[in-house]
Amino acid sequence: MAGPLSRGRRYVVLLLLLCGFGVVLFRLVTLQVLQAAELTVKADRQHRKTVSLEGARGTIVDRHGKVLAMNIEVPSVFGVPTALDSPAKTARYLSPVLRVRTAELERKLRQDRGFVWLARKLDPEQGRRLERMSMDGIGVVMEGRRFYPKGPLLSHVLGFAGMDGAGLEGVERRYESHLHGEKRVTVLQRDALGRTVFPKGLTEQSPAPGHSLVLTIDEVIQYVAEKELEEAVTRTHAKSGTMIVLEPQTGALLALAISPRFDPNTVSALGPDRWRNRALTDAYEPGSTMKAIIAAAALEERVMRPETMVFGEHGRMPVANTVIHDHEKLGWVSFAQVIQKSSNIGAAKAGMALGDQRLYQYLQAFGFGQRTDIDLPGEAGGLLKSPRDWDRRSVASISMGQEIGVTPIQMASAIAAIANGGVLMKPYLVSEIRDTHGRVLKQTLPQVKRRVVSPETARTVTTILEGVVTDGTGGKAAIPGFRVAGKTGTAQKIDPRTGTYSASQFVGSFVGYAPADNPRLAMIVVIDEPHGEAWGGTVAAPVFNRVGEQVLNYLGVSSNEPVKLAMASESP
Amino acid sequence: MRMLAVFAGLCLVFVFVWERVDMVRVGYHIERLKHDKVVLERERDELRVKFSALSAPGRIAKVASEKLGMGLPQQGQVIMVQSGPDGAPFPHAAPVQVQIAKNDFSGGRK
Repeated sequence: MAGPLSRGRRYVVLLLLLCGFGVVLFRLVTLQVLQAAELTVKADRQHRKTVSLEGARGTIVDRHGKVLAMNIEVPSVFGVPTALDSPAKTARYLSPVLRVRTAELERKLRQDRGFVWLARKLDPEQGRRLERMSMDGIGVVMEGRRFYPKGPLLSHVLGFAGMDGAGLEGVERRYESHLHGEKRVTVLQRDALGRTVFPKGLTEQSPAPGHSLVLTIDEVIQYVAEKELEEAVTRTHAKSGTMIVLEPQTGALLALAISPRFDPNTVSALGPDRWRNRALTDAYEPGSTMKAIIAAAALEERVMRPETMVFGEHGRMPVANTVIHDHEKLGWVSFAQVIQKSSNIGAAKAGMALGDQRLYQYLQAFGFGQRTDIDLPGEAGGLLKSPRDWDRRSVASISMGQEIGVTPIQMASAIAAIANGGVLMKPYLVSEIRDTHGRVLKQTLPQVKRRVVSPETARTVTTILEGVVTDGTGGKAAIPGFRVAGKTGTAQKIDPRTGTYSASQFVGSFVGYAPADNPRLAMIVVIDEPHGEAWGGTVAAPVFNRVGEQVLNYLGVSSNEPVKLAMASESP
Repeated sequence: MRMLAVFAGLCLVFVFVWERVDMVRVGYHIERLKHDKVVLERERDELRVKFSALSAPGRIAKVASEKLGMGLPQQGQVIMVQSGPDGAPFPHAAPVQVQIAKNDFSGGRK
């Protein structure tokens, strides 16, 4: 049996305990006092997790709510090279999933860095495969990626967003301030396993997503326009094509098609020339389509009436040391026939009767030489010189659509003004901006810019333009069962090498509206550099016809022709 | 009396500790629910994109023409009917527009 500890032993135990407590006390002072600041920072770093949150980018839908662009969360993959045992093996595993070459992955994974992106914004399916693989040193984070589910449909209008989610072109760029989601940085507390202990943001709202846009575009009309335009451009081996369909009464765009198209989901390989919205940026000499505008001005100013007889000079008229030609040698014809037969000489005489000042005023009133202010970026104002810069031939040239540069959207707006009874409307694309709950924050209402001609003049011009389709150069635009008004245009392009009009490069176009008596659609078709026969009546009018018929049927517009139905008798 | 005070104090301490522990537990639960919500929302958005892509007019037209042998009606084959067979408006009814195709359909543009 052990006896009581001797006094010496007690002191030894006491000393050991004191030493132990002393060590603990020393360590305590070191941690709590001497290293307090440094360790506090370290602890904060381990316990706190700073998270950058961004609300989803707003959705873009057509007038019927069909999704045209939206964000979804997709996986991005990163590697931690310092935590990898075998970069080569990891690269071999990842290569087929990420669809990145093994050598490239291995090169990234061998870098002397703590973090490296391996692939960003992958397809959701790729993310699910990666989750199943679960590899050390490889991580996945979710990022918002912009999807355009309809592919190339409406691509030139929608534009696209970049890798960082910011809009770079089209509506995406113009409405960036509305579309982008709220950005916020928040701090969460986490435990030793990295789990969030308590959601600090519990009482806070998540960052607000961006606003949604409702476009005036109808995706079905857009599809029809793109399909028919693409066919025409392919058939004529043209350089490009542009088509705009709008509601003449409101100025709302129903379709805006450009050919060739591009897919905004895979835009990185393309250049600006491919995604440029030519309907707004490219000014062209409109040629004879300008005669519809000249006719409206001449009739409004009463310098011409439809029945006024104009001498066609048998197809040749000298003006300021130059000669204006007509493709058809005309004698005396009515002014209505001047437009229907697209006489350059007749149009020049109408312009001369107006005079340079009045001609210029009407061109300005119809919106030429200035932006339409449509809600899309990059719009050009076209080219309309001041009368003091005109030479002696300018009035005649402008009257037949030369010496003036217009954009397709300007010409579409101008023809829509005649269609709706003489009022120039501001074209627009976004009808509503809505918040995440669908509440309307902003609504765009049709906006009148100015009255350009009287309703009587507009009606008279409509009658003349109907003649273009029934008896003139625009026969191929005729839609059975509907009254169609329009004007063809065939303009020579300027050869950049010689600075003169080219004999082989043309712009064929057609502008018009239907039904002429109660227009539901105003349209322009522009075919740039078609090969072979390049007349606007040959290359552009058929597109108007096919799109017009399909869209009027789609909109349920009744034709003017009486319908005869044979009723089957009941069987006995 | 002293015992009662000690007991009450212990109860308070217990409630306080229990509350803190439960807050953490609920916090984990909320985090899990939030994660589930995010996953479900992600799935919903993926389905929306998929639905939108599948209902694209171009795809529907392609399926209709290539798989179902359908074509656009030729010019003049679509007629809007707004009146009865005798030419008079339908009685007691708002005008209804009906699209019918003529029987002599012989294949349209594709």
